[in-house]
Amino acid sequence: MNDIIIKAENVNKTIVNKNGGEVVSTTILPDISLDFRRGEFSAITGPSGSGKTTLLYLIGALDMPTNGRIFLEEKEISAMKEEELAELRNEKFGFVFQFHFLLPEFTALENVMMPMLARGRTTVKRAREKAAELLKQVGMEDKQNNKPNQLSGGQQQRIAVARALANDPIVLLADEPTGNLDSKNSENIYSLFEKLNRENNQTIIVVTHDEHFALRTHRKIHIIDGKIDQDIRTKEPGSSIQS
Amino acid sequence: MKNKKHLFLIAFRQLSQRKRQSILSLAGISVGVMVLITAISLMNGLVESFVQKIINIAPHVLVSGEKMLPLVPDQLIKPGKNSEVNFIKNVYRSDEEVIKNYKKIMDLIEQDSLVEMATPLVGLNTIGKFGTTTLPVQLFGIIPSSQDKIEKFKKSMISGNYDQLERTPDGILLGTSAAQDFSAKVGDRIQIVANNGNIFSLRVIGIFSTGINDIDGNVYVNLKLAQNIGGYPPNEVTDIYIRVNNLKKDYLVADNIKNLTNYKAITWEEKASSVLALFKMISMIVYFLVFFVVLVAGFGVANVLITNVLEKTRDIAILKSIGFKKSEITVIYIFQGLIVAIIGAAIGCLLGYGMIEILSSIKIASSSSSAVRADRLLMGKNLWYFTFSFGFAVLVSLIASIIPARNAAKVNPVEILRGEK
Ligand SMILES: Nc1ncnc2c1ncn2[C@@H]1O[C@H](COP(=O)(O)OP(=O)(O)OP(=O)(O)O)[C@@H](O)[C@H]1O
Ligand SMILES: [Mg+2]
Repeated sequence: MNDIIIKAENVNKTIVNKNGGEVVSTTILPDISLDFRRGEFSAITGPSGSGKTTLLYLIGALDMPTNGRIFLEEKEISAMKEEELAELRNEKFGFVFQFHFLLPEFTALENVMMPMLARGRTTVKRAREKAAELLKQVGMEDKQNNKPNQLSGGQQQRIAVARALANDPIVLLADEPTGNLDSKNSENIYSLFEKLNRENNQTIIVVTHDEHFALRTHRKIHIIDGKIDQDIRTKEPGSSIQS
Repeated sequence: MKNKKHLFLIAFRQLSQRKRQSILSLAGISVGVMVLITAISLMNGLVESFVQKIINIAPHVLVSGEKMLPLVPDQLIKPGKNSEVNFIKNVYRSDEEVIKNYKKIMDLIEQDSLVEMATPLVGLNTIGKFGTTTLPVQLFGIIPSSQDKIEKFKKSMISGNYDQLERTPDGILLGTSAAQDFSAKVGDRIQIVANNGNIFSLRVIGIFSTGINDIDGNVYVNLKLAQNIGGYPPNEVTDIYIRVNNLKKDYLVADNIKNLTNYKAITWEEKASSVLALFKMISMIVYFLVFFVVLVAGFGVANVLITNVLEKTRDIAILKSIGFKKSEITVIYIFQGLIVAIIGAAIGCLLGYGMIEILSSIKIASSSSSAVRADRLLMGKNLWYFTFSFGFAVLVSLIASIIPARNAAKVNPVEILRGEK
């Protein structure tokens, strides 16, 4: 039951910037190793600038490590080409960002359909049905035809969650998904995540500043200066998480 | 990658979001295409109508009395023989360029199966006198019935009766410009002064107008009379006009005649070469200018795309995060360029069509300084003007889209999604 789906081995991320004439290189993650299990709901916490977002993007194939290796279900994603990574992001990962990044020209429903249409594997009709179902799951079924600017921040974020789930991702990755929301909306999103994890056994990795919420997950990984400061499993995956 | 509908949809929605700018660049393309079509139509109309007129009423091949090679004396000396040749200089008007024994020459010419017909002419520079007006005038002696098969005078008659020329030994036919210059009308008697000073009083039996200023300035008489005026014997003419039955092979006819007779033979293209070259140059200049109009329209397209890409980096980052490939992002922006170009060019085609219709319906005062006279602009009408202009505008826009589209694909999603606003 404890099968590992993501594994990071000695991952280093160093960014080289040209600042005027001189070259400045910043090591964000010096050497990090960790793995995630299927069905696990993990929270990554840590002070601002500690490298949480960087780590999450590396795991989600949005960014490439400078050194070290990252595996998804035993396939090394750190060795893949841009095209393959794009497919991976489409099929295997679902992202939710701090700012509710939706495409402003498209309705809620169309935004959720977009990852399904990207690879052209489903018909438009099937994508629409699935998107409607996902919107129902996040409680936005009555906002299907609203454009993002007709929706509140909390509503937009739920739609972003529905979009992240569009292709039944192996892992749902969220970067401070409630960072821009009030406490009521934040609670809504967190409960939604808990429900997804509980009912669908959805693997979730969420970066958060909310210590209280972090304690509600299975596992709390605390990062300081790009190093794991603390990694505690509070509950076993599959066990119910009480609010 | 098979189904690009969603990419098209994204492209279209983004464009519709920036309506004003999209419409502006679209209008740029429309105007460019319209101007291009109008210019092509105008230039082609001019050249085509000119060429058409020439083909219809001018000889396809013109044989003149100028000898291509001296027949003497080397050709008379057979190589290797020690024979002596006495060459007696022809004392009879050696300076004149005439075709001797023209009937025999014509028989030779007409044996060529490409030749439809041939007719002899005597061309003279004379002085015309009518009332107080004295003017130099180009006079041609013709065989009216066969000449008509080439120059179509009968159809171009504006007064008088062409057939009467053949029956009137002292009859003269005036081109409309010549008639105007002399202010002469049918029935008037015009005096023609020959080179040797002899004066011939001729009766105007008709006036014609072909639309080609060169021809409309001339006057025509019977061949015999012209031989008389010019002092030529009955077996000499100055030119032979030829119509061929395959215009594309007129040069073969000309070459053949040169070889057979040693007289100079030129095709209508050679004769009109300076005018055709002038037309060509004017066309080039016009196309060159119009090319820039379309190029500027292309910059308009590039401009929309550049701003769209700059303003949509966030959206591009989102698309990448949900698995859109670089190539797909590129396609989205190429689509945007193509949408603007295709709609713009389609509207431009309609406008161009309208422009041609309007311009070709406007009456203009005919000018006698141009090669071809007409009472309205002679606009060409051909499908290829539209397909070419359309294709050209789309191509320019496509090229203009490439750089912005590639920049879009290069957007690094990480920096944008990190959310450092
Ligand atoms: N392109 C870059 N060039 C230089 N430094 C960078 C770049 N991107 C990120 N950093 C630095 O790397 C460090 C880690 O950034 P990261 O966004 O991962 O932190 P974070 O833990 O997510 O912070 P926050 O909680 O504020 O979101 C920060 O100090 C940041 O300034
Ligand atoms: Mg962060």
